[in-house]
Amino acid sequence: MKLSREQWFYIILAGLAGALIVFAPLPVRVAPPSQRTFRVEASQFAYSPAVLTVNPGDTVTIELVSTDVVHGLYVDGYGASVTADPGQTVSLTFIANEPGSFRFRCNVTCGALHPFMIGKLQVGTNTLLWRAVGLALLAAFSGVALFPRPATVKAV
Amino acid sequence: MKRSEILSRLLVIAGVLLVLSVPLAVHFYEGQGIVEIHGRMAESGGWSPNSIHAQVGVPLHLRLTSDDVMHGFAIGQSDMPVVDVAPGKMTEVTITFNKPGTYTYYCTRWCGPNHWRMRGTIEVSGGSSDAPQPVSPPLYMTLNLNIDAPHPAIATPTERPSALRGAAFAAMLSSSYLTNDYYRAHSPSQAYLDLRADPALSSLSNPNVWDLVAYIWQSNTTPEGRAEGQRLFARNCSACHGESGGGDGVFSASVNAQTGKFPANFTDPASLLGASPALLQGKILRGGMGTGMPYWGPIFENETIWSIIGYIYTFQFDEVQK
Repeated sequence: MKLSREQWFYIILAGLAGALIVFAPLPVRVAPPSQRTFRVEASQFAYSPAVLTVNPGDTVTIELVSTDVVHGLYVDGYGASVTADPGQTVSLTFIANEPGSFRFRCNVTCGALHPFMIGKLQVGTNTLLWRAVGLALLAAFSGVALFPRPATVKAV
Repeated sequence: MKRSEILSRLLVIAGVLLVLSVPLAVHFYEGQGIVEIHGRMAESGGWSPNSIHAQVGVPLHLRLTSDDVMHGFAIGQSDMPVVDVAPGKMTEVTITFNKPGTYTYYCTRWCGPNHWRMRGTIEVSGGSSDAPQPVSPPLYMTLNLNIDAPHPAIATPTERPSALRGAAFAAMLSSSYLTNDYYRAHSPSQAYLDLRADPALSSLSNPNVWDLVAYIWQSNTTPEGRAEGQRLFARNCSACHGESGGGDGVFSASVNAQTGKFPANFTDPASLLGASPALLQGKILRGGMGTGMPYWGPIFENETIWSIIGYIYTFQFDEVQK
């Protein structure tokens, strides 16, 4: 199939639009870094709350309270961890300078379902998701626009 | 068979036996004097083995591991550092006992609801003094206190007593009130009534007499002792009694469900100010009282218990040094 000049133009345009979607800074409201304190209760085999949302650059303090046995909290990506016995609230402070979505998990063997004791630390907006949505829309749109259905063969 | 053939066969057999015996010998040699202890939650059996023997002056090598969750290991009335016992890991500890006797080892990590029941004993024999040491009965027995009975305060202050304010009137105080014997045998409310009845103090207001009581209590403890008491309280007591002593620890609800009682509330003047240090010592030593309170007698030294008691009263009294 030979592409017309017009089609080439659209392909380049779509490519530019794709690059824009992938690399352009999203109009995310950037909050000034602040102090954030969460009281996380750990029990067999869950954290409450299990999802912590912070802004990039925030100083995050997690107060870990265990309500049954000894539990830990280890934040993937940050490598910060803390261990809490019941009756001894401990706190973990770190600066959330890396945006993204990170698992935190129990790092003290606390029972049979210990490997499933996890939670999530969300630093900033999940831009990857929105960029992926944009790219998928662009692909669908340009697929339709660039390559219209061939004209139906007229009935003889 | 030729003689040389027999010889060579014997040689081969001897070689095979030698090779086989090496790992056995190594195993036997390395296993000498090493005791392997497995930790399990109290519900599934506790320590295994839960009683071991040792000799005075002979190093005892322990290899500790856990069969389920994270445990800790410590030996009561010894200065052995606390170690963690994790599943899939071997923790090696070497201890040498200087005195014969029965030592209790216990779990130091909350591993389950019956964590404190996870205990075992080490029987240490030998040594120079084989004769049993004379043991003096604890103060609550000498004083004939009933540690199971309720102990309401006969009097309570209208405001929180302060040892700092009390120190200003300390010069008026007869030195007999400041002795250790007086402090340990009297509850703060008894001491208050004694002081109130003292003609030398009749010019003081009721709150100031309470300040003097706080001063007496303060002067029988040391800042280091109270700090140690605080550390031990956080580690061993606060899971039930609460980090701020309110009897509202994370286990208070389950203690209530099992026993129908709540852990003692040390912030309640009506209860704590009716308890003498000797009474609290009895409760800590023996435990029980139908409340699920563990017994700490084999674990804490006497002085340690007095430190914890000194700290417990700070839930009622303001300290001089904060």
